[in-house]
Amino acid sequence: MIMLDGVSKVYRTRTGRKTVLDNVSVTFEAGHNFGIFGVNGAGKSTLIRLLAGSEEADRGVIRRYARVSFPLGFAGTFHGALSGSENVAFVARIYGASIRQAIDYVEAFSELGEYFTMPVNTYSAGMRARLAFATCLAIDFDVYLIDEVTEIGDQRFRRKCVDAFRERMLRSDIILVTHNVHTLRQYCDRGAILSNGQLALYDDVATALSQYHRLVQESA
Amino acid sequence: MEIGRHRPVRREYYHVSQFAEVCERVIGGGSFSRDPGVGFGEACRLYVARCNIPQDDVPLFYSRLSEALLHKGQRQEAVECARIAFDLRPQSEGVASLCAWVFSNCDQPEAAAAAYERLLEIRPQWAEGHRHASGSFAVAGQTDRAIFHGVKASDLEPNSLEFALHAGGLLQSAGNSENALDYFTRAAEIDPRNSTALRSLSAVQFALEECEDAVATALRAVRLAPDDHLNSLHATELLLRSGRLDEAADLILAAIDRHPPDEVALRLLSAAQMLRGRIEDALDAIDRALALAPEIAEFHLHRANLLYRVGRLEEAAEAFDRAAALDPPNPVARRSQLTAYFDSGRFTEALAIGGELIRTSPDNEEYAQALLHVLNRRFETLDCDYVVLSDRALQPRREPRLPPGFFETLQTQLRVIHALIIRETRTRFGDSNLGYGWALLEPILHILMLSLVFSVMMRGRPPIGEEFFIFYYTGIIPYHLFIHTSTSMTYAISSNGSLLQLPLVSTFDVLMARGLLEFFTDTLVAVLLLAGFGAVGLGVLPHNLSGVSASVLVVWLFGCGCGFINAVVNAFSKSWDKIWVQLTRLLYFCSGIFYVPGMMPDWIRDILAWNPVLHAVDWFRSSFFQEYDPHWLDRSYLTIVAVLTLLAGFGLERGLRRRLYEPL
Repeated sequence: MIMLDGVSKVYRTRTGRKTVLDNVSVTFEAGHNFGIFGVNGAGKSTLIRLLAGSEEADRGVIRRYARVSFPLGFAGTFHGALSGSENVAFVARIYGASIRQAIDYVEAFSELGEYFTMPVNTYSAGMRARLAFATCLAIDFDVYLIDEVTEIGDQRFRRKCVDAFRERMLRSDIILVTHNVHTLRQYCDRGAILSNGQLALYDDVATALSQYHRLVQESA
Repeated sequence: MEIGRHRPVRREYYHVSQFAEVCERVIGGGSFSRDPGVGFGEACRLYVARCNIPQDDVPLFYSRLSEALLHKGQRQEAVECARIAFDLRPQSEGVASLCAWVFSNCDQPEAAAAAYERLLEIRPQWAEGHRHASGSFAVAGQTDRAIFHGVKASDLEPNSLEFALHAGGLLQSAGNSENALDYFTRAAEIDPRNSTALRSLSAVQFALEECEDAVATALRAVRLAPDDHLNSLHATELLLRSGRLDEAADLILAAIDRHPPDEVALRLLSAAQMLRGRIEDALDAIDRALALAPEIAEFHLHRANLLYRVGRLEEAAEAFDRAAALDPPNPVARRSQLTAYFDSGRFTEALAIGGELIRTSPDNEEYAQALLHVLNRRFETLDCDYVVLSDRALQPRREPRLPPGFFETLQTQLRVIHALIIRETRTRFGDSNLGYGWALLEPILHILMLSLVFSVMMRGRPPIGEEFFIFYYTGIIPYHLFIHTSTSMTYAISSNGSLLQLPLVSTFDVLMARGLLEFFTDTLVAVLLLAGFGAVGLGVLPHNLSGVSASVLVVWLFGCGCGFINAVVNAFSKSWDKIWVQLTRLLYFCSGIFYVPGMMPDWIRDILAWNPVLHAVDWFRSSFFQEYDPHWLDRSYLTIVAVLTLLAGFGLERGLRRRLYEPL
């Protein structure tokens, strides 16, 4: 469960200030998967980072009654001079997970072979992505945050990711930002719409979707 | 050929029975043989010439010959003769009548129609002639003329059921339902008990959207001839179309009971059951229909749609496939098959079908959209044909976690700093084989080199103690600790920007990790050097170990405070680190490292005494050498400055934390 209590966040851009959240109080209940809709520039990615704790709110409090992941597939923690296994060990150490287990899991999952013990800056983009995805799955989070699912690897590896994710989702919740309606319907049972600094939660995806379409039509 | 032996054909003998011999002569048969080079027409002409048939009788001769040939089954030659006769004398009623008969019987509807029209010019009120002409025109595809004569025939003889039905049928098939209605009504009036007339009337009424009348008429036809299967089928269809579904179902079920079931009746039953929402019954009916007629594409299409409706997607896809295979030019089945595959999650198959559709109809926008849809879906990363949410309902719920308490938070923070320190030791000299060893070796070499230089330059004894190495060591260790700590922390945020995206890692953590690492490194260096000196016989142990420790700790804290401030300032002014490097160089000369402040004039020493690092060096030295106890040394000054700097650094970091780095 993640509770937002009077949270405000203003995002500064070169062109000026953009209000992402304006005194928002909502609760993402445990046991539900949320799909977040919002037009481009509404601040969906900022919202995900706020939920993760990567960014702090300007005002208000975000209470997390769960272990919340960093955004899935985030590769920024990797140090180019460190090997894949050392990078995994670092993340495991930070989250207090078993380093041995995490390394074994990622080594088996990411299929990097001998690259796993070589510096990350020798990796291709696809290998980094595989490492990042596996690292996130290696830590047992209660809530996984996903900002726009991206392509990873070939079809077989994607299938593997899906299976792993499916197994994980039996116990964990997800909060997902995507433009793909199919993905949303497949993974989410609740919807949320972010627009003009307000975050509205809906008990089902269909209602959220129709509200969202109305919103898009109004603004068009 | 001995033509001369034959007697001329006399006019009074022009009867069919006498033409058998003539036929044999002109077409060659029996005991006669025709010259192979002479065609049939030529043979006829020769015969006419040789027999001296009078000019006036020639058309009659040809028409009789034609009739005889037709009787013998020589249709081609019969037609040829009839044409010659008709061309020679179209105005003759007898010739025209005979030609019309020959043409009609020899599949020459256009010629027959022309002959009948010729006859009708002579006898315009001949109803039967109009009927014949209409029939010929209809077969020849000239619908307008056919309708003209058909209508005329029925109008001339309004009591003929057949004429009325014929005229109505022609009008209906030409789309003229309003006029067709008149003639079918006439037919129904002529014989109110004729169910065929009623059925036709019903169809026209329905076409004119007089639905209730149409259904009533159709049901009347069923009542009149309950055994006529067509009546039942027709009435059922009309009932279905006008939404009377239950009656339709009853009617068609009764019809199927009465007759051996045929595929059309079963197809109608399936439609009725489908419309009534009984999809399973509808499926049963269409399965029976397909058992009788397995090759009808439309039946497979219907069955596929039923399967799709009940969610048997895979079977629906197969049925669509069969329908498409039976009717390849029709893309409807393929398009539906794509949807069935798509909905059952078989995207690869859907993609193949989409490709096929696009190949056959490259300009169809709807197919292109469908294919695009499949492609988008196909290449999603997490696409999969499963339902996660339903699986999850079976799993036990997680216990909600309480927000971490103070000790838990502290524990996490220590864990993070620990992880950062380990990472730092691995990465600082990442590309060197020695790795962290360099961090130790570098200051050791630095100290040894400079001690050597000073001992050579200054000669004799150092200001304190016996050895220049020890003297210089006591100066450089606190200085290095301060400089290393404060400088290394300056870059802690800028070089760990992406790491700060991790929720658990804060700017405080990365700063403290660097500060602590410098503390451990420089302490280790100091211990190693001292041990080294001892090993080569220069050994002097500090007389006051706690004083040494205290001075090291305080100067480190001062370094940390400066480091925090540096990091914050550097986040806003990128050139601050350059200025800081210059300041540290100045401090090297102002901190009494290679001299003691007592050697300076008082006024200079009073200025230098403002420098906290100088106090740190003297604190360290006074704890190291028993004989050294400078009166200007103020330990509390250094401590207060260190604490104040640290508080300022903490405050700045905490207050400006959000603006110290750009979120990605």
